[in-house]
Amino acid sequence: MKQTLQTATLDNGIILLGEFLPGVESVSVSFHVAAGSLCDALSTRETDRSCCGLATLAGELMLRGAGDRDSKQLIAALDNAGVQWSQSVSMSHGSFAGAMVSRQLPDSLKIYADILRRPLLDQSQFDPARQVVLQNLAGTEDDPTHRTMLALRKAHYPSPWGLPSEGTSADVTKLSHTDVKNFVDTFIQPQDMIVSVAGRLDWPEFVKQIEALFSDWQGQPTEPISAGERGEKICHVPYDSQQTHIALAWDVPPYRDPDSLQATAALAVLGGGSSSRLFTEVREKRGLCYSVSAGYQTQRDLAVAMAYSGTTADRAQETLDVMLHEIKALPGTITNDELDRVKARAKSGLVMQQESTAARAGAMARQWFHLGRIRTLAEDLERLDNLTVESIENWLAKNPLTEITTVSLGRDPLEVPDAVSP
Amino acid sequence: MQFRHEQLPNGLDIIAEVSEAAHSASLGFFVKTGARDEHDSISGASHFLEHMVFKGTDTLSAEDINLRFDFMGASANAFTSEEDTVYYAAVLPEKQHDALELLSAMMRPALREDDFVTEKQVILEEIKMYDDQPPFGADDRCRALFFQDHPLARSVLGSTSSIEALQVDAMRAYHQQRYASDNLVLAASGAVDFESLVTSAQQLCGEWKPSPQNNRKVEFSNSHSRTVTDVITREQAALEYAVRMSPGPAEDTDDRFAAKLLAVVLGDDSGSRLYWDLVDSGQAEHAVCHHHDFLDAGVFVTQLSCEPETTYALIDRIIEIYQEAANGLSNNEVDQARNKLLSRVVLAGERPRQRLFSLGLEWAHLGRYRSVTDDLETLDSISRDDLHRILAEWQLTASSSTVLAGPLLKDSPTT
Repeated sequence: MKQTLQTATLDNGIILLGEFLPGVESVSVSFHVAAGSLCDALSTRETDRSCCGLATLAGELMLRGAGDRDSKQLIAALDNAGVQWSQSVSMSHGSFAGAMVSRQLPDSLKIYADILRRPLLDQSQFDPARQVVLQNLAGTEDDPTHRTMLALRKAHYPSPWGLPSEGTSADVTKLSHTDVKNFVDTFIQPQDMIVSVAGRLDWPEFVKQIEALFSDWQGQPTEPISAGERGEKICHVPYDSQQTHIALAWDVPPYRDPDSLQATAALAVLGGGSSSRLFTEVREKRGLCYSVSAGYQTQRDLAVAMAYSGTTADRAQETLDVMLHEIKALPGTITNDELDRVKARAKSGLVMQQESTAARAGAMARQWFHLGRIRTLAEDLERLDNLTVESIENWLAKNPLTEITTVSLGRDPLEVPDAVSP
Repeated sequence: MQFRHEQLPNGLDIIAEVSEAAHSASLGFFVKTGARDEHDSISGASHFLEHMVFKGTDTLSAEDINLRFDFMGASANAFTSEEDTVYYAAVLPEKQHDALELLSAMMRPALREDDFVTEKQVILEEIKMYDDQPPFGADDRCRALFFQDHPLARSVLGSTSSIEALQVDAMRAYHQQRYASDNLVLAASGAVDFESLVTSAQQLCGEWKPSPQNNRKVEFSNSHSRTVTDVITREQAALEYAVRMSPGPAEDTDDRFAAKLLAVVLGDDSGSRLYWDLVDSGQAEHAVCHHHDFLDAGVFVTQLSCEPETTYALIDRIIEIYQEAANGLSNNEVDQARNKLLSRVVLAGERPRQRLFSLGLEWAHLGRYRSVTDDLETLDSISRDDLHRILAEWQLTASSSTVLAGPLLKDSPTT
């Protein structure tokens, strides 16, 4: 498959990434500003008061009017251009994205430039924006799986990585309009902003337009974020529910580490797909749960493996025991067949990504953030082809699993063995 | 895009929307059966059977099925609704035959007793999982109240007691009747080799037997529904969740398209009347309206989540918003909603996996094909007056069923 990948860098540090995808009418664009929830910690340091949720509140307020459009006019302009827009906040980035029929791209880029460079941050919109963030936080209180994963993140990651990106009600209630303005002034900056575009695309025109809209935008560097303490290794959240939710985490290499491929392949053997060990042993053979899986979550400098299951309280202990057993049993037992299945699934995933302009734009941005480059599909497929059981086993042998963070949410706490010895 | 259709002598329909530009092929069996085809003693059987289909055939174990899907790199799954049970796999084009071979084998499951006993535990876990999370069963309860003695009142999951009581023999009988060759559609989309699909299907499914099927339609009269409210109390919930249903056009009328456009104007998750009034202002966490159509009935569903003490006032406000809409919509808001929907149709059309479901369900229900272009033209042809007519005809503010779930108690004041 012939691929057309493009990159460019503007003088002010904005990175442009593009891929022409044949056979589609649409184009997707995403803007990733280095203003994720980790920046909440820098605001906390600056103001000497906990600001968890500030990045999320800033994202909400930025969409409430920009340039010469008020809140309603802005959304109407995006909707009328048929832009399927979204806004989100991760640990590292505040992101604004849109998918549309390609002829709408030039007009929508102007709207995104307004949102990023000229948000109104209208005082009268502040209270409703904060109210929306608080409503969403109340909603997550009612989602036991989400609560479990938040507790796991808090327990396993060092601060501030362990703090919830969406914020906490206690902090958001105390945030002010000035806090948001300061946050936007300080962190919504062109340096390291990634603009990724994929689909039916005229790349030279796109670069020209981004230059016209963004090249005179200057910013100043922001401070680095340092890692603090981690939480408790074993944690139970009492919750009156029928099911007990179990989540486990342990450290693995981040995406940019060449060894991450061995680690993610091992994780896929453990908990990816319906023939994975966890699915087979926990659900298929024992019928202990409806959902069980393992996955990989990476930041630039640290990454974690996570495993999850939700099950009836009286079968939760058995579920945890089986999960821990399968995790410990992995080294030395991976088969060629298992690896073949991991490769087949990964290969399909990579090829099918080419059918979604939004998925491609997002994937290119993530690769650039972690690697400082985009790999071609051919390169990604070759890396998969070169993966062997031996290379995975060597990695597992050199990196024995010593500590697993265990979180449960439900009526009763579970018994967790003291140490994990492989 | 090219549409193709063949029918095997045993009545199995094979349809495909072939796209040269696609990188993958998606295929699926659409079984015309769901909760509405059950009765009390087998409530939840369609969904439980969907799980059992993955537990193997006379020659394949459950593990074999999982292994094969993963070996071919398939993204495979299934779902059950009130009216349909759908099994699907997205694969690279060279795996088309392998995927069909496996999916078609699965349509004739062994339904072994020991698998049935183990999988029953998984179904009971799934019921508990949904019971623990919003809207805490309010959707099922609301549908039961709204549809009363109509088959659409039935729960897809069934209840803990109906699943515990279900016997494997009853499931076998249900399977034999509902998975007959003429009650299934094989649909495919993307980079599909249609000739090869038909040849393979002849080999793999040609021996399946047809079976006479009852007419599934049951008249649903508006007089069935009255205004009722029920409350499910969940003390520890942070928010109150409300589900409200009122009648709308069924899928066999062209008005279903206008009804969907109207729902976007009224209650899309952004830029709609409910959004600007309730969500943007921070009064509600979530307030949406959508239109859902079935074989013989349609329904406008309103969902709200908010702080418990504001619930009744916000429901009153939603009814006011619907009344205001009936007084007249603006051209701008109708055009904005239309532009949104047009874009959604174009983007969904690029993904074979998304096209598969539109394609398969349209054929399973109505026996016809609608292209992306048909959908775009229909959307373009709907006028503001059509929406006014729908509002006048279906009276979103009149008869309805509403169920609340959350901290509120049953004896709280009703609207």
